[in-house]
Amino acid sequence: PVTAGSIVVPYGHVIGNEKWRGSEVAQRLQGKVRLIFEDGLGLVDFHLSNRTCILLISEADLVAGDEFKRRLVRFRNASSLRGIVIVEKTQISDQYYPGVQKLAVLELGMVLLPVANQEEASQLIIQLVSFCVREQSRERGSNPFVRRQRGPPAEPAVLRAVQRIPAVGKTKALLLLQHFGSIQRLCNASVCQLEQVVGQTVAQQIYTF
Amino acid sequence: SRIPVQPSPSPCILADSREISSGPAVISCLRAVHGLRVQVCPLGTSDYIVSNRLAVDRVFQSELQSPGNRNKLSQRLQRLQGVFERICVIVETDRVRPGETSRLFQRTQHYDGVLSALVQAGVRILFSSCQEETAALLKDLALLEHRKDAALQVATEPEGHQRDILSFYLSIPNLSYGAALNLCHSFGSITAVANSSVPALAAGARLSRPQAEELHRFLRHDFDFQLLPEPLSKGKS
Repeated sequence: PVTAGSIVVPYGHVIGNEKWRGSEVAQRLQGKVRLIFEDGLGLVDFHLSNRTCILLISEADLVAGDEFKRRLVRFRNASSLRGIVIVEKTQISDQYYPGVQKLAVLELGMVLLPVANQEEASQLIIQLVSFCVREQSRERGSNPFVRRQRGPPAEPAVLRAVQRIPAVGKTKALLLLQHFGSIQRLCNASVCQLEQVVGQTVAQQIYTF
Repeated sequence: SRIPVQPSPSPCILADSREISSGPAVISCLRAVHGLRVQVCPLGTSDYIVSNRLAVDRVFQSELQSPGNRNKLSQRLQRLQGVFERICVIVETDRVRPGETSRLFQRTQHYDGVLSALVQAGVRILFSSCQEETAALLKDLALLEHRKDAALQVATEPEGHQRDILSFYLSIPNLSYGAALNLCHSFGSITAVANSSVPALAAGARLSRPQAEELHRFLRHDFDFQLLPEPLSKGKS
């Protein structure tokens, strides 16, 4: 049963697959997040928000063979949700990790995060949930890795660029910009026009550049 | 105005010069084991440039453990996001130095928080246990981008006069080292670049449309003395 379609997750809640009821992950999540169990989530283990869900791969899954790979591929084909794969990377399952990473991240374009055990998985899920909540509440500025739009004015950068022209320092750069206004117009200036601003030699150098 | 470049047999990777000291095994492994062309350049922004649109930063697991590095990392990645369409972080397990007993990795709440923030920001994360594995991941990324027709095609460091021109392009904000190299190879002169249309810039420098628009705007930007930061006389270059 491939149920990977979207599910409505109430604000700040996590919907967990029935099969995790009573597990260590679930016990550690309870109290920290509002966890609801539901039957028939299919491939998905936890829904964090309307567009983000988690697939949990245990140490045993990794060692047992390729079944989990089929699960990832089926999920990817069936769903447009953002799938975060959490995998139990232990001393025993370590050797399989590079293969899983290649499949999940490079080939399927999913997110893959390793944890050492179910306790770490629950801690990671709690952090992920808090970011999903912030995303929904549009506190986007709170993410330190999302770039804020609108940079500083271009003037200092334009001035720096003009100074890269051989024989042009700060003073000449300012003078040139005063006369020509933009880099494009400076590029299209004739030697005569340049000579009116700077000396003959420098004008020639700028023109050849 | 665009000079067609022959597709290269093996993908090329640009490595930042600091990586010679911090990741020597990564570079030698890329060259010797995987047979890639690796060009070491003063990139400044990222550790590796893998394609025309993808930059890769190598960080140690320990750097994500404590809040002390948070600002540095976020500034670095925000700058990268201005320059590249795609960003990938390779989290490498710290090396155990000789004489040091293997340190147990203590997962902190901060570490999970950083990972969550990266995921939400759309930064791709890969995990590596050593420099050799990092090299293998870089190779996989380069091959993937090669298949998607985004591979770097010019790797040769320009000589003489071309060097000055490259340095001019590199001073343009939010233009990657790869794009600056593309400009050098695709256009005969700076004047040709300055007079190009947005689509011509996008094709010649292999930039996305918004990036080409930004470059176009910059070259035609009308200089306004009022907007210069105040202490003009004091040289800050």
